[in-house]
Amino acid sequence: MHVEDSVAMGTKLGKFVKKPDLKQIFMFSAITWNRHAIHYSRERAISEGLPDVVVQRALIGNFLAQFLDQWIKDVGDVQRLEWKVVRSAIPGDTLTCTGVVKKEIIENNNKLIECDIEMVNQRAETIAKGVGTVRFYTR
Amino acid sequence: MENEISREALKLIGVEKQRKYVVTKKDIRRFAQAIGDPNPLYYDEVYAKTTRFESIVAPPLFCHSVAFEDVSPEQLPPDGSPVEADVPIPAKRMVGGGSVFENYIRFKPGDTIVVKAKIKDLYTKQGKSGLLYFIVHETCFYNQNNELAAKETATFIKRI
Repeated sequence: MHVEDSVAMGTKLGKFVKKPDLKQIFMFSAITWNRHAIHYSRERAISEGLPDVVVQRALIGNFLAQFLDQWIKDVGDVQRLEWKVVRSAIPGDTLTCTGVVKKEIIENNNKLIECDIEMVNQRAETIAKGVGTVRFYTR
Repeated sequence: MENEISREALKLIGVEKQRKYVVTKKDIRRFAQAIGDPNPLYYDEVYAKTTRFESIVAPPLFCHSVAFEDVSPEQLPPDGSPVEADVPIPAKRMVGGGSVFENYIRFKPGDTIVVKAKIKDLYTKQGKSGLLYFIVHETCFYNQNNELAAKETATFIKRI
């Protein structure tokens, strides 16, 4: 059964866990050519009032996109992702993504599903929240 | 007024910068590794041919790899933060606030990405620990056929 066949308002998307470490934060800074010191210098990050080197806004977005992508598998695509970082994520955190189906839209014969999504850390503190829209392709 | 944004800063709104890149398999593979995504669609050509894409494609938010202008280190602010948020405002400490990313066409190896970027808005809000400056930056990513493949509206937050 395809994912879209079992989707209804309120359906939970399951859980998706990421554990970013210093190496991943470094690799993401490198691949995005992000030279901002708060992503590699603990001293600098703390001097700016942050708890440690912080996970990039864009890497958090990529984790959320991956969460949606592995949920829809190969029958759809992430069309839109809106997220707001509300708390810093730091190396060693366990970040859990969850989501719930909010709305179904039919557009050009394709089904779009809008989901509320959230990322929390190991203390259940919200790191990011937003809305993801996935597009299922016509079979 | 304390929260007034200078004319000098406001003049930067709408000033568009443009640049171009060619996507390679290596770019896609390295980006997928950096985000920790093991999906063979990004690495394995034989597998990718069996999918609806019929080729390796980039992850949905791959355009993040070309979202920051590759200026020399000397052109960056002292904290190394992206020039996209380098505006003359009396605040230095920056964090990423949030984003809206629209994804229409997945890039494949050999595609060209044309990046068109500009500051869309500048505004202030009173935060718990003082005034916050918001820099809203819009980046559109076109392919070689001049089709809009992706668009991101990112918000950077600066504090004094």
